[in-house]
Amino acid sequence: MKTYTYKKSVALFKRAAKVIPCGIYGHLSPAPLVPATDYPFYASRAKGPRFWDVDGNEFIDYMCAYGPMVLGYNHPKVDAAAQKQLKSGNCITSPAPIMVELAEYIVDLISIADWAFFAKNGGDVTSYAIMTARAATGRKKIVLVHGGYHGVAPWAQAPGHPGVLDEDQSTILRVEWNDFEGLERLVSAHPGQIAGFLATPYHHPTFFDSVMPAPGYWSKVEALCRKNGIVLIIDDVRCGFRLDMRGSNEYFGFKPDLACYCKAIANGYPISALVGTEALKTAAARVFYTGSYWFSAVPMAASLAALKELRRIDGPALMLARGKKLLDGLVNIARSHGYTLRVSGAASMPSAYIADDESLMLHQDWCAECTKRGVFLTSHHNWFVSTAHTDAEIKKTWNVADEAFRVVRKKYGA
Amino acid sequence: MNTDLIKAHLNLNAVLVNLEDLVVLDAEMAALSKGWNLSVQFIVRKGPSAYIQFENGTCTVRRGRCKKPSVILYFFSPAHLVKMFDGKAQPVLLKGFTKLGFLMKDFPKLTARMEHYLKPTPELLADKNYLAVNTRFTITTAAFAIRELGLVEPVARMIASHIHKGVTLIKVLPNGPSAMLKFDNGTIEAEKGDFEKPMSAMLFRNLKVANDILNQKLDAFTAIATGDLRPRGQIGMIDSVSLLLDRIPLYLG
Repeated sequence: MKTYTYKKSVALFKRAAKVIPCGIYGHLSPAPLVPATDYPFYASRAKGPRFWDVDGNEFIDYMCAYGPMVLGYNHPKVDAAAQKQLKSGNCITSPAPIMVELAEYIVDLISIADWAFFAKNGGDVTSYAIMTARAATGRKKIVLVHGGYHGVAPWAQAPGHPGVLDEDQSTILRVEWNDFEGLERLVSAHPGQIAGFLATPYHHPTFFDSVMPAPGYWSKVEALCRKNGIVLIIDDVRCGFRLDMRGSNEYFGFKPDLACYCKAIANGYPISALVGTEALKTAAARVFYTGSYWFSAVPMAASLAALKELRRIDGPALMLARGKKLLDGLVNIARSHGYTLRVSGAASMPSAYIADDESLMLHQDWCAECTKRGVFLTSHHNWFVSTAHTDAEIKKTWNVADEAFRVVRKKYGA
Repeated sequence: MNTDLIKAHLNLNAVLVNLEDLVVLDAEMAALSKGWNLSVQFIVRKGPSAYIQFENGTCTVRRGRCKKPSVILYFFSPAHLVKMFDGKAQPVLLKGFTKLGFLMKDFPKLTARMEHYLKPTPELLADKNYLAVNTRFTITTAAFAIRELGLVEPVARMIASHIHKGVTLIKVLPNGPSAMLKFDNGTIEAEKGDFEKPMSAMLFRNLKVANDILNQKLDAFTAIATGDLRPRGQIGMIDSVSLLLDRIPLYLG
């Protein structure tokens, strides 16, 4: 197979580095791509489950823009709805009726939702969720799971990151994932002080395997929160609509008080949502929270169309099934080369690591070899499967993976 | 948090260790120290201790107490030691009155030379040999400073507590200098030298790149994209090491 080169990406990056801090910042930074020089930096276009970089290289995309793409890039129904709304208006002095329509649809769709609040990014609504919890309880402290990702607000970042003050962390407590006893101890140690417990429906940390909730974990957490007046918040930004259209809590069988959505909610259009129970609606209303573009109507129209389409085709079930097929094949191919591909998390957003080298260098090389052959895989983050990934993409992925395993086998030996 | 205590740890256990290489790499210092056979013990009340051993042209710097030191330098507090490193205070000589000549004349020449290599200017860095020594000292200081921060600095301790077990190698390609950090359940050990199969590695394309990144003149994210800095292995470890590296300038200006 021909391997890709990235001359134009590199040239563009050099221009970017002169005028943009670190060239490409944040989660799209090349920094965690190992080696970065084996990856494209800039995309020129995208369609369905594929994108093309500025050098003309074509990729089957298993990162899906790190989650927002769920129905395939440039989905006709979603784009048509967005275009139609754009003709009427987007960012206007008063909100458009589509805002009410979308909120009604979400309240009908998501099991715990009695109301919906819209913003732009996942971090907007995780911050709003903890403000709402604090407003509702009059308490300060928030419990997070160590290694959980909830955006880049100072409270959400790990201690020690540049720009984050010790004071930003002063009301944040952390507990290990699945450690119910640890959470109980924290609650006992801080009686009447904890406003909320915020966690993802299952643990999907960067750099590590995903971990599902232990049996009974969520029901015990839910009961503990109820007993102690703690607002239970799920950050469903990444999992949302990839496990269950009613909210990922339904997949695991529990009821949070607040739930945060973004990514798959609009198939790439910028919108996020916090939904909550009736009991928290007044507290949510008391928190003043807004943004210049949070009322933009185009993403709302796109979101409504995307959610309707996902519901129509039962997107989560489709992605879980296709993810399983993809992963079963990859595990078998790995085995045929003498490797163990360890898969964790939901099949619609799996974490996969070659388990034969704890340093992950072999795994990094394998992901890079796949990418250079047209299957974009990162080695540090969970992948994403969309409803647009068909058998054709899966088959091509298997072929590329097979050759990439041959390459790394040659490099690392038996 | 006692800032002077942290500074004392870093100065004593991360900066002084560069003397080991200084007496090898700098011909003048090698000649000066060739005949020295003695040890200098640093004791800081309510602070760290360390000693320097000179023997047959070699220098060894270690934490803790030396068995029979030739010289004992005592400091009333971590702040007292920090002031000495800033040239604003003198230690109390508890032992080694017969070595006053060494302490007053020879040893300061050595520390002044080390300071010369640790305080670069653009002009000095234009010299290839200076760049090589400065980069080596910077890497060594960084590695040993991380070890000390992991012991005494609360945020660093928190970061270290969740670092994957194993070795992180910091190396200038192709042949060094290099240093390694060994992480194990919150503890950190530092060593100079290479390591064949690290759990993670920060590999710098050349001395200049390493120097620029470690002195925060070049951002690591850009350098990774251009291939000047190549992280390998457990990237979470590299991420944490980067955070620890960022904390060093808070105490070593």
